[in-house]
Amino acid sequence: MTQYLLSVHSVEGEGRDPMTEEEMRQFMERVGVLEEEMKSAGAWLFGGALHEPDTATVVRMSGGEVLTTDGPFAESKEHLGGFYIIEAEDIDAALAWASKTTAAVSKPIEVRPFRHVSEA
Amino acid sequence: MAALIGVFGDIDVAEDAVQEAFAVALRKWPGDGLPPNPGGWITTTARNRAIDRLRRESRGRELLSEVGLFSPGNEDSGTSEEMGPVQDDRLRLMFTCCHPALSTAAQVALTLRLLGGLSTKEVARSFLVAEPAMAQRLARAKRKIKAARIPYRVPEEHELPDRLRPVLAVVYLVYNAGLSSPAEPSLCSEGSGWHGSWRRSCPTSQRWLACWRCCS
Repeated sequence: MTQYLLSVHSVEGEGRDPMTEEEMRQFMERVGVLEEEMKSAGAWLFGGALHEPDTATVVRMSGGEVLTTDGPFAESKEHLGGFYIIEAEDIDAALAWASKTTAAVSKPIEVRPFRHVSEA
Repeated sequence: MAALIGVFGDIDVAEDAVQEAFAVALRKWPGDGLPPNPGGWITTTARNRAIDRLRRESRGRELLSEVGLFSPGNEDSGTSEEMGPVQDDRLRLMFTCCHPALSTAAQVALTLRLLGGLSTKEVARSFLVAEPAMAQRLARAKRKIKAARIPYRVPEEHELPDRLRPVLAVVYLVYNAGLSSPAEPSLCSEGSGWHGSWRRSCPTSQRWLACWRCCS
C-alpha cells in the first residue's frame, strides 16, 4: 500500500461566477458522498478544503533568522484549494479515487505518491 | 527482461541482472557451447544473480522478502531450468510501459528499450534526440513507475478499452518509425510481431483488426 496526495487546484479568476446556494448544497453533497465512500473503503487518511490563499502565512529561514511573510508561498494565479491523503494499492487505485474527486469538485486533481520511510 | 520484471517488480534490478547474465554467457558459451535453451539459461542466470546481489544489500533484502524469494526453500541449484512462458510477462510489461500516467514519448521510448531490446543509443536515434537526453527520459519514466507504483499487470476487462488505446498507438508508432527510418527496419517487424502476439491474446477487440490493417 502506498500513500498518495490528491491535491485540488484552482485558478484565480477563471471567469466562473460564485456558486448559488443550491449549487453549493449540491457541491457539499457530492463531496460528502465521496468522503464517505473513501472512508468505507479504508482509503481516506486525512483531507479537507483550505481557506483562500490570502489567509496564508509563510515562514522561512533568511540570514540565520526566521522570517514571517503575509500571503501564500506561490505568487501565482494557481493555488491549492484542498487535498486528500489516501492509501491505495497502486496508482490505478489512486487514479480511480482522483477521477471521482475531480468529478465531485470540478477541478483538476494532482496525484502524487508519498515516499516510503526507507526511501527518504 | 519481462519475466524478471515480473519476478522482482523492479525494472532497474531486472536490467542489471540481464546485463550480468549476458556477460556470463559471453564468457562461458564459447567454451561450454550453447545451452539447449539459451533464453531460459539467460533468464535463470539473471534471476539467480539478482537474488545474490539483493541479499547483500539491505534494501535488496526488503525487496526480496516482499516478493517472497528470501527463503532457503527457493534456492535454485541448476542454471538450465526453464522459467516458463514469457508471453504473459511481455503482455504485462507492454501495458506497464504504455500506462496513461506516462507521456506518449515516454511510453514509446520505454517500449522500444524494454520490449524491443534497443539500446538507449538506438532509441535516441529513432527519436532524433541526443543519447543523454534519451537516457534521462528513460530514467525519469522508470523512476515514475517505481515511485507512483504503476502496477505490473494486464488491466481488468472493464479497463481494457481505455488501456488498449495507448498500447495500439505505441505499436503503430513503432511500426511507422521502422517504415520511415532506414537505420531501424527491424522496428517494422517488432511492431508487427507485438501486434500478432497481442492479437492472439485479445482476439475480441475490433481495434486490433483496425491497427493490423494499418500495419500490413
